[in-house]
Amino acid sequence: PPPLPGLQLVQQGAEACVFRGRFLGREAVAKLRVPKLYRHPALEERLSRRRTAQEARALLRCRRAGIPAPVVYFVDYVTNCIYLEDIMGAVAVRDHIESVQQRGDDASSLLPLGEKLGALLARLHDEDLIHGDLTTANILLRPPVEKLDLVLIDFGLSFVSGLPEDKGVDLYVLEKVFLSVHAETETVFETLLKTYAATSKKSGPVIKKLDEVRLRGRKRSMIG
Amino acid sequence: SQIVDPFQVLVAANKAVHLHKIGKMKTRTLYTEVIFNLSPNNNISDALKKFGVSDSDTAVLIVLIVDTEKPVNLEEVVSQVEGQQVSLDELPQLTDIEKVKKIYKITPQEEKIGTLLDSIVCRMATKDVL
Repeated sequence: PPPLPGLQLVQQGAEACVFRGRFLGREAVAKLRVPKLYRHPALEERLSRRRTAQEARALLRCRRAGIPAPVVYFVDYVTNCIYLEDIMGAVAVRDHIESVQQRGDDASSLLPLGEKLGALLARLHDEDLIHGDLTTANILLRPPVEKLDLVLIDFGLSFVSGLPEDKGVDLYVLEKVFLSVHAETETVFETLLKTYAATSKKSGPVIKKLDEVRLRGRKRSMIG
Repeated sequence: SQIVDPFQVLVAANKAVHLHKIGKMKTRTLYTEVIFNLSPNNNISDALKKFGVSDSDTAVLIVLIVDTEKPVNLEEVVSQVEGQQVSLDELPQLTDIEKVKKIYKITPQEEKIGTLLDSIVCRMATKDVL
């Protein structure tokens, strides 16, 4: 565990352990990559470092492009740990959608969120940045939630690509999340796509690829 | 005038101490490493020129990195400076924001998603991955 005062484990994902604590007097998050012991040590070291570096690079690219993502405070290449800004009081989009639905509000109140998401992803993809793990748990809302101030997190699987295929897959992953995790949110995702198409300059081929990927996806009968 | 917040210096110093401990500093001394870490690029002489003290400077920020086992006499250090010691709270007044934006090449889009300090620290922390 990283040397951070006030340290507490927030969650343990497949890729990394996330801790919260203070870093040089600021509230911070430490993301420590979990060494996979089944890998050959040399490979493990190289892979871990590459993923850490990729995440740091992606976060810098986001910042330069004006895409909201946490600030990187420090990268420790010895332990492959990234120290990031802790977005205080943030709510994951996943939890927000759930609470809205529990309140009894229907999807129409979530449409503005869909618009904001569409616009954000359009800007991300126009920078040729692929998030790689777009789920509603990886998109945060800064408080107050009504402002729909979004922040993208978890760039561990991100990479740079201009290919519509990669962007289409990025969107497809998110669509699957909406359809499987969140009930009756088809309209929200539709709004997302509409705004995406309107905001992104290169959206045409991407949407086309998305349609293709949908057809290819898992459990699809490839007849004919 | 290029420092916007003490945190900026803390981050630079933290990285310097870390690299020093593992023997992977890019410069030859701990203090030049701190100066180098403040720079947004990987050019050492440029960093020293921009962030090091020069004859035309009217204000200096002194950084001391101390080993907890070996106490340091602050008075001794301060007495070497001919000038008026000012509280760190006044640091923002001494910052030349336009100069900072230029040195760190802050984009207009960036200013919407965070503070100047955010942009600076991010660059400082990730410049060696590029």
